[in-house]
Amino acid sequence: MTQVIIDGKPCAAEEGETLLVVARREGIDIPAFCFEESLASYGACRMCLVEVVKGARPGITTSCTLQAADGLEVLTETPEITGLRKALIELYLAQAPRAESIKALARRYGVEKTRFARKVVKEDPLQNRCILCGLCVRVCGEIMGAGAINYIGRGQFTEINTPFYEENEACMGCGACAEVCPTGAIALEDRTDTRVMKSWSETKVPLARCAACGTFFAPVPFTRYAHEKLDPGILDALKDLCPACRSKAAARKAILLKKEGVIPPEPELQA
Amino acid sequence: MDLDALKAARQKGLQKLLPDRPRVAVGLATCGIAAGGDRVYAALEAAIRDRGLDMELAKVGCIGYCREEPLVNIQIPGKPCVILHRVTEADAEEIVRAVAAGDVPRRLALCRVETWDPLVGEKLDFGTGFDDIPAYADIPYFAPQRKIVLRDAGFINPEDIDEYFAVGGYRALYKALTEMTPEAVIDEVIASGLRGRGGAGFPTGTKWNFTKVEKSLRKYIICNADEGDPGAYMNRNEMESDPHMILEGMLIGAYAIGAREGIIYVRAEYPLAIARLTRAMEEARAHGLLGKNIFGTDFSFELTLAEGAGAFVCGEETALIASIEGKTGRPRPRPPFPAQKGLWGMPTNINNVETWTNIPVIISRGGDWFAGIGAEKNTGTKVYSLVGEVQRVGLVEVPLGTPIRTLVYDVGNGGIDGRDIKAVQTGGPSGGCIPASLFDTPMDYEHLTAVGSIMGSGGVVVMDETTSMVDTARFFIGFTHEESCGKCAPCREGLKHMLMILDKILSGKATRENLDLLEELSGTIKKTSLCGLGQTAPNPVLTTLKYFRNEYDATLKGAK
Ligand SMILES: Cc1cc2nc3c(=O)[nH]c(=O)nc-3n(C[C@H](O)[C@H](O)[C@H](O)COP(=O)(O)O)c2cc1C
Ligand code: SF4
Repeated sequence: MTQVIIDGKPCAAEEGETLLVVARREGIDIPAFCFEESLASYGACRMCLVEVVKGARPGITTSCTLQAADGLEVLTETPEITGLRKALIELYLAQAPRAESIKALARRYGVEKTRFARKVVKEDPLQNRCILCGLCVRVCGEIMGAGAINYIGRGQFTEINTPFYEENEACMGCGACAEVCPTGAIALEDRTDTRVMKSWSETKVPLARCAACGTFFAPVPFTRYAHEKLDPGILDALKDLCPACRSKAAARKAILLKKEGVIPPEPELQA
Repeated sequence: MDLDALKAARQKGLQKLLPDRPRVAVGLATCGIAAGGDRVYAALEAAIRDRGLDMELAKVGCIGYCREEPLVNIQIPGKPCVILHRVTEADAEEIVRAVAAGDVPRRLALCRVETWDPLVGEKLDFGTGFDDIPAYADIPYFAPQRKIVLRDAGFINPEDIDEYFAVGGYRALYKALTEMTPEAVIDEVIASGLRGRGGAGFPTGTKWNFTKVEKSLRKYIICNADEGDPGAYMNRNEMESDPHMILEGMLIGAYAIGAREGIIYVRAEYPLAIARLTRAMEEARAHGLLGKNIFGTDFSFELTLAEGAGAFVCGEETALIASIEGKTGRPRPRPPFPAQKGLWGMPTNINNVETWTNIPVIISRGGDWFAGIGAEKNTGTKVYSLVGEVQRVGLVEVPLGTPIRTLVYDVGNGGIDGRDIKAVQTGGPSGGCIPASLFDTPMDYEHLTAVGSIMGSGGVVVMDETTSMVDTARFFIGFTHEESCGKCAPCREGLKHMLMILDKILSGKATRENLDLLEELSGTIKKTSLCGLGQTAPNPVLTTLKYFRNEYDATLKGAK
């Protein structure tokens, strides 16, 4: 355990812990778009700037790449940092004019409009909301292990989509990408028996149908993935059921077993 | 190989380098070939063969006077080495006829060299005579220069390890491995004050220590030969003219750091450098200088070559490492630094080509000797590529701290056709433009930064009175914008908007607000970008706004 000082407040932290995480735990809301605790720091959105006043490398740096060390002292909202954040927000407003979360942040920082030319793309699969933070790409590749989407192009022409803008079988339809997207850019839609990843070249993923009630409840490849990952596993009899029917079945089984006196009153339901 | 073998190899090399019959050597680095050097070589070869003359014909690298190429060295035993310039195929007959008669064609003679000091070995005594030909030291282009890195360039055959032995090659390695501990090697490099020549100028010895102290079974060293700055070609010439010096530097570094594997990362656009490095590695391996138990010691080292994919940003160390690992060349935040987590997650030390080439002489002559050259905290020399609107273009090696003026006027001889020089841009596409009024600025890391520019890899572009500074700024922003990897927002988005504003300015439609926004945005990009590309890219705009604001003002709406 060590102690760092954030905005004058002493905060307990693990040695080497990411400063952004420490700050957020303490209720200090440093804005950041490209950070997710379960992934390695990426340092791309540049919003989480802080100023190191005491530490190994004094000056302005990103708090997602700053490690807690004894004696570290940072400020999260100096006039300079606020100014830089506002400038970055203006760039984001121009890049992703339809992103509501960016507009909300702009309001918080008193940025009324952007002075830069706004980029509006007709029929943008990412709805003019993508800021290229890369969270979707990293979650899909590094956490889900699917690698269905990636960067295409470079520099100003960078986009995120499936390779060659074609439907991609690697996509499990899990929607983790949409879940982590900080600007709500990724669109997907369930059409009866199919999930359509609208942002990812309309990739179609079949939905699994509940053996009991017949509703379509989750993408087939994702249920398979989930069953493989579960430890301990799940009863075969429950695999083809939607979550609602699964709990019903489980409850029924418990009641039956209780009636027959096979198990004591508090049933263990895990396989 | 042992010491006796090394001495024997030197003798063998000397017989090639200073044979007892005439030697004609053509400067055949990429620049020499582009100027027609290969045709000159072929014509000389034919002329010697047709006449059945008893003379050696050799290939050498480039001495750096690119404007005067093709260059041909004539060595007649007992006579000074005479450098002929602007030689064409048509001159071949005349040259061999003169040489056969113990003479050189005066009309082609640039200068004569009586002795040459390879610094790590015994002096080369060519001879005396030909007093009517100017001495090397009297040639204005060469006079202010101090050749350390390029000391062999243009004299030895880069495709023959024997000639490298002849100039004392691999003796520094022998000394390091047999007489010094790894710690002593690092101490020597620290004492030399050598700073990285890849741009940032980080002290090399200190950096080596970072990797050395890491506990890991595997460590790597990398030579960064990605050289992506437009107009810069010093690293190319260092590789093409003297590849073994890089190998020797890396071997010494690997020993000091405790690395057993090294990689040279060369951009694919440098086929000749790749060919010569490959050959040098084969020759070194054949002599037991790569591989197991080098010089019979415990030290073993393997070296491989990786070809770069051609993106400018791949020269950035973390992007370079990603590229070697087969990933997209995008920088990642540091820490962790490569010294902690580099190639394949292992501690890795990465240095520029020119940094590595400085190592053998430091070990051989000592850190203190090296520290005596150059300026305070800026020791040694730097090779610059002097290009643009200046009379004498080429590769120039001068001590750090040499004023810009010396480079532009003494070496470069000022503007073309008597035009006034307006500014120089140093440090590659993201360097700043320095006005003529500041030409007394010493060229060292700190002073260049103080005037808003950078040392970078050593590109120097001269601009004369006819150059529009707004155009110039637009050109460089266009380049960095093209080369931005697109990972972080300020560089990717910001440079795009800078370019749009600059285009507006150039079309005469901009307002003062646009100009102010351009300046503000430049500051934001510098302060918030992830890697050095974004952090320096606005320099051309910031410096031209600072020193040539009138040129911007003149374009504003309503200004005319
Ligand atoms: C955009 C960018 C391009 C770079 N290109 C090169 C290059 O071509 N060659 C090089 O040696 N260093 C280059 N660098 C610097 C490297 O990241 C690194 O600092 C250097 O190789 C370290 O070597 P040194 O300590 O010997 O200078 C570049 C840096 C940036 C940010
Ligand atoms: S500064 Fe530019 S080149 Fe460097 S990481 Fe950011 S976008 Fe890529």
